[in-house]
Amino acid sequence: MGNPDSLGQFEQLVLTAILSLREDAYGVTIHAKVEELARPKAVSLGAVYVTLDRLEDKGLVASWLSDPTPERGGRAKRCYRLEALGERALQESAITAKRIWESIAQVWGKEWAKEWGKRWGKEAG
Amino acid sequence: MRAAPPRWVEMLVGITIPPACRESVLGDLHERYAGLPQYLLDALCAVPLVIVSRIRRTTDPQVRLLEAFVLCLSFLTAARYKDANFLTEPWGLMRLAIPAAMALVGLMLEDAYARPGRRSPVNAIVAPVFGLGIACLSQLVLSGGWPALVLPQWILLAGSGMGFLLVATLRMLFPPLADRPQGANGPAFWLQQSGKPLNIPPVAIRVLKVMGVMAVAALLVVFADDLPIVGPRLLVLAGALLLAHEANRRV
Repeated sequence: MGNPDSLGQFEQLVLTAILSLREDAYGVTIHAKVEELARPKAVSLGAVYVTLDRLEDKGLVASWLSDPTPERGGRAKRCYRLEALGERALQESAITAKRIWESIAQVWGKEWAKEWGKRWGKEAG
Repeated sequence: MRAAPPRWVEMLVGITIPPACRESVLGDLHERYAGLPQYLLDALCAVPLVIVSRIRRTTDPQVRLLEAFVLCLSFLTAARYKDANFLTEPWGLMRLAIPAAMALVGLMLEDAYARPGRRSPVNAIVAPVFGLGIACLSQLVLSGGWPALVLPQWILLAGSGMGFLLVATLRMLFPPLADRPQGANGPAFWLQQSGKPLNIPPVAIRVLKVMGVMAVAALLVVFADDLPIVGPRLLVLAGALLLAHEANRRV
């Protein structure tokens, strides 16, 4: 398996959204999940499409057309799933993010890290 | 009953979306529908990016560069052959670049809006006709507002004819792909194509290849016109004939 390219922040968000949506990952749900992950920033549907295309070209995700559904006016969904290369790239990104978090916590102190940890805990419910 | 966008609006939006992603994008927009203004805003934000992404996916930079080169060369040669002074006139080169650039835009759009999986033997001919049609249309538009930038008719016709032959030959040799294969970020994208070859009658390929080689020969002969002796021109002609013979033999 080749080395995956390094991911941009938006690519990480889209891959995380696909990972967490599992079988239900398609344009609308991915966009909703990415918006949730990126808040308070607004995310356009077009940006999600462009990123999905790019990730597919890189071989990080695969797509297929599902059966048409009536709530979509009888049109099919393009569903996405992570490929092995995508999972690896996401793991590497998560490890890097953890290292960044630990370095910042070391400089700004444990109190700061605790406070942010609590805030995130509340956000996650 | 679930609210749905008006059919005519969906149809209009659908026309602007490339066929390869029309079904899924229209379905997503339909699912998110919460009123006409929201639908139109969604479409306005999403569709341009979808088109750009499709153009990126269907563009092979190396082949596109070759197409740009042969288009520029065609119009340059037509101008050089018909009126050598044209190139030194103010805005002369700019006037030649406009139809070449517009034809290239036409080729890009034709590839982006091609139906994936539907490959026809006439594809290699339709795309250059569409591209050069856009080039001629741009000249018509320019003649209304900026007549100083319009090419003389005979240069436009000769350049378009030669451009058609060369681009059609190029697209026969390196057929465009409707879908970029996964992980195809490396060089020589056209080398990685898979699937069934174009179902073109061998005679048509033979004729087009020979015509393409003859067009290149014509270009070379025109540029060799300045040489004081006839030897090099004869050499070029002999080379072109040899190439034509080779192209004919290798089909």
